[in-house]
Amino acid sequence: MTRWVALAGAVLLVGAAVAMMLLLQRPSAATSAEQAASLAAELRCPDCESLSVAESRTASATAIRQEIASQLAAGRTPDQIRESFVARYGEWILLEPRGAPLWLVAPLAIVAGGGLLAWWLIGRRRTPAPDASQPLSDAERARLASELERLDG
Amino acid sequence: MGRSMLRWLLVPLLVVPVGWLLFTGLGRDPREIPSPLVGKPLPVLSGTTLDGSPFSSAELAGKPALINVWASWCPPCVSEHPLLLDTARRFGGELQMVGVLYQDTADGARAFESRYGEGGWPDVDDASGTIAVALGVTAPPETFFVDAHGVVRYRHVGPLTAEVLDEQLAALGLQP
Amino acid sequence: MIPTLGHVAVVAGLAATLFAAASFVLGARRGDAELVGVARRAMYAAFGLAAVASAAMVYSLLTHDFSVLYVVRNNATTTPPFYSVISLWAALQGSILFWTLLATGWAALVLHRFRDRAPVLMPWVGMTLALGAAFFFAVMTWPGDPFLRTSPVAAEGNGPNALLQNHPFMGLHPPLLYLGYTGLAVPFAFGVAALITRRTDEEWLGIVRRWTLVPWTFLTAGIVAGAWWSYEVLGWGGYWAWDPVENAALLPWLTATAFIHSSMVAERRGTLRVWSQLLVVLTFWLTLFGTFLTRSGVVASVHSFTASGIGGWFLGALVVTLAAGTALIVWRLPDLGDRRPAGEPISRESAFLFNNVLFLAISLTVLVGTLYPLAVEAVSGQKVSVGAPWFNRVGAPAFVALLFLMGVGPALPWGGASAATLRRRFGRPVGAALAVVLLAVVMGMREVAPLAAIGFAVFVVLVMADEVVRGAAARGRTRGERAGTAAWQLVTRNRRRYGGYLVHAGICVMAVAIAISATLGTEVTATLRPGEELTIGAYRLRHERLVVQALPDDARVRETRAELTLSGPQSGAVTTALRDYPSSTTAIATPSVRSSLGEDLYVTLIGYDPDSQSVTLHVFINPLVGWIWLGGAIVAAGAVFAIWPERRRIPTAAVSAAAG
Repeated sequence: MTRWVALAGAVLLVGAAVAMMLLLQRPSAATSAEQAASLAAELRCPDCESLSVAESRTASATAIRQEIASQLAAGRTPDQIRESFVARYGEWILLEPRGAPLWLVAPLAIVAGGGLLAWWLIGRRRTPAPDASQPLSDAERARLASELERLDG
Repeated sequence: MGRSMLRWLLVPLLVVPVGWLLFTGLGRDPREIPSPLVGKPLPVLSGTTLDGSPFSSAELAGKPALINVWASWCPPCVSEHPLLLDTARRFGGELQMVGVLYQDTADGARAFESRYGEGGWPDVDDASGTIAVALGVTAPPETFFVDAHGVVRYRHVGPLTAEVLDEQLAALGLQP
Repeated sequence: MIPTLGHVAVVAGLAATLFAAASFVLGARRGDAELVGVARRAMYAAFGLAAVASAAMVYSLLTHDFSVLYVVRNNATTTPPFYSVISLWAALQGSILFWTLLATGWAALVLHRFRDRAPVLMPWVGMTLALGAAFFFAVMTWPGDPFLRTSPVAAEGNGPNALLQNHPFMGLHPPLLYLGYTGLAVPFAFGVAALITRRTDEEWLGIVRRWTLVPWTFLTAGIVAGAWWSYEVLGWGGYWAWDPVENAALLPWLTATAFIHSSMVAERRGTLRVWSQLLVVLTFWLTLFGTFLTRSGVVASVHSFTASGIGGWFLGALVVTLAAGTALIVWRLPDLGDRRPAGEPISRESAFLFNNVLFLAISLTVLVGTLYPLAVEAVSGQKVSVGAPWFNRVGAPAFVALLFLMGVGPALPWGGASAATLRRRFGRPVGAALAVVLLAVVMGMREVAPLAAIGFAVFVVLVMADEVVRGAAARGRTRGERAGTAAWQLVTRNRRRYGGYLVHAGICVMAVAIAISATLGTEVTATLRPGEELTIGAYRLRHERLVVQALPDDARVRETRAELTLSGPQSGAVTTALRDYPSSTTAIATPSVRSSLGEDLYVTLIGYDPDSQSVTLHVFINPLVGWIWLGGAIVAAGAVFAIWPERRRIPTAAVSAAAG
């Protein structure tokens, strides 16, 4: 019985994680200022380390923000704008790599790890506990003593 | 044998790929980014030169060109400047040189040229960085080598060296 | 003279550590306690030598001895004494020296504390620590000599890296982080010793748990202090950029945290021995990996020191450690097996193990994200980036799930739980959390991340509070203690557990603050002439004047300062500046941060025009950021509470007499 509850719990956990991941997808930007901001956050600032164009105030980041604004004003879509920067700077400019679904790493690791753990826990339960008849280890004995003492104390 | 020995395979299976991956990274400069413009036609660049005349990259067609992105506030630009002056002297008629003044003021650029030498090639004002963004510049100095058909052949990041300059100019068909 | 002394100390340190390693091995094999004692003293000597070398370097920096290349590159005659001293860890060679000092310090401390204990394990622990220290001494003897001379003697040096002399936090963040990094060698050494001597029993586990917790505390504090430094200095309004080297500090923290949790199950159940060993080896390996990333120039990062020949040495150490660690575990695999059960699927044990799954999944994700650009380039030659948006999107759900487990785990009983227990323990916290989330939605909050963080944090804190209150009440009933006394008695009698709760509470505070500051901030950029104002939220900022002058304590640094007047919820004079350092081509921002309980007003100067005296400001309202640092302090306090040695037990009668 508890086994099924555990499995249901694990499935629920994984489901929640995946749902959360989908919910945390970048929000759809409505106004052009929001679009510009979200595009800037996706592009790497060329002359700083590990910051996006949105976060940086360096010369080239400022120039790229202006370029984004003027391309948006010219009616180009975010995809076209992204593409135009890739054509000049290379894939390197995108802070989220395209192509390989790299983000799958996290859910796959959680599902695989969770599955392995569930299998291990359940497998262990079936085998009769071998230490039931064994004498206590020293640490267990010490712990028992201290717990008992605590109860008395 | 069998399973008990097989488990030793784990060690090389883990160590070799990790070691190899990190080893390949060792010799590289993480700041060197290849330009996707190489092999493609030069994007159309337009602006105003420091002396006020309009500039368009369309004018460059027909002859090989060298486009140098620089700024007066950039120390490596000082160190490569003599090489550019020398190039202008040697190939004056056959090579079109253009400076792109990156996020700088006209005054700064004039002071730079009066101090380190005036080469005679036009400098396009790019205070807003529009041209630099069109070229995918990360930081000055960067130099683009463009052939007679208007195709970008090479992009050099950082100060030019005599070797790079000779090699790339030769590739454009300019022999000293 | 003094630099020569430093160099001699380094070479002698190499000799001492190699001698110690050999003597530990010989002593262990022959069962010669005296030889082991000699080896231990050699390690004390190595610590002394590292201290002498560090003192020599600090002296050279303080006296601006420009015959030393490191001093020329990282110091100038105008550098204030404080920044001269902390320049010890401001660049590559000096930081290796400082690292060696801390590593040998930990080694000496451990060997001293265990001089009469664990006689079978200790020689091998000593050997491992000695070899680790020998590596660093060797690096300083050959490729990374901090005392390399330059001739002719320079008249003036370059001064410290501009970013590192801009804020006193630089004196705090690296030492804490390094104490954490170097300390994690201790559990690794015990792991190696246990594997070699086949003593992978409760004894080593107990020692290793404790000796992981101490460096873990430093590592945690170091990471939080680093985030704080980045916030106060870098001027982009944020505190965590998922920079490769930040990730490298996070990775061992994640695996060490996983170990701290799984070791409780291991201790209780006598199982999970392979897993514990794996985590200990992995954690140590990741600390080395972090130093490799910083020091090899493999990745571009704010933190990377200039590329140098040292990269190859660190790569060698990484490969050797990984090979030796896995080989040792594989070798002892037959001894490590057990068939003991680890509790019911719904029990505290399984919650702790699911926590391990999440921690390891996050570690893997961060590792893959950090190394992916390297892998792509190795395979296809293409340059790609993996940055903050990716890490936030992929990592956030797993962190939120961890938050959830943080509440579930401690509330589940060991062994297994009945449905009634679950209802009793979770009913009210779940209800309260849902109510708080609902309230937040009604009040207009729509972002998923902060809502989830708030909900889970409330749940976790209530579950813990409920337990403490129930425990204290029970104590009060049975012994007639007053509520305060009962609670204090309860928590001090099980420091490990309640210290852990305090750590969890701190993490909850941080989680909520991070989620809210990341999603609910506002910012504005504006160019102002003198006398003009900008408005952001309820604040008004007026530009008074632009001042350009040299710094009073370092004339070579020119500061361009906007003097502003703030009014609104906070008021007063605000100055924010750009500093031009001779050693840096770009000006360094000196943001002004006005903190209040609810939010920070963060003002940076990003440009100015001397002719019109106008300034361009980037102003942020960052809600709850102060609570991140406060949460970090709570975490550290909880960890210290947990590590604090338990009071010696006074005979029961005396306790009752005192209490009564």
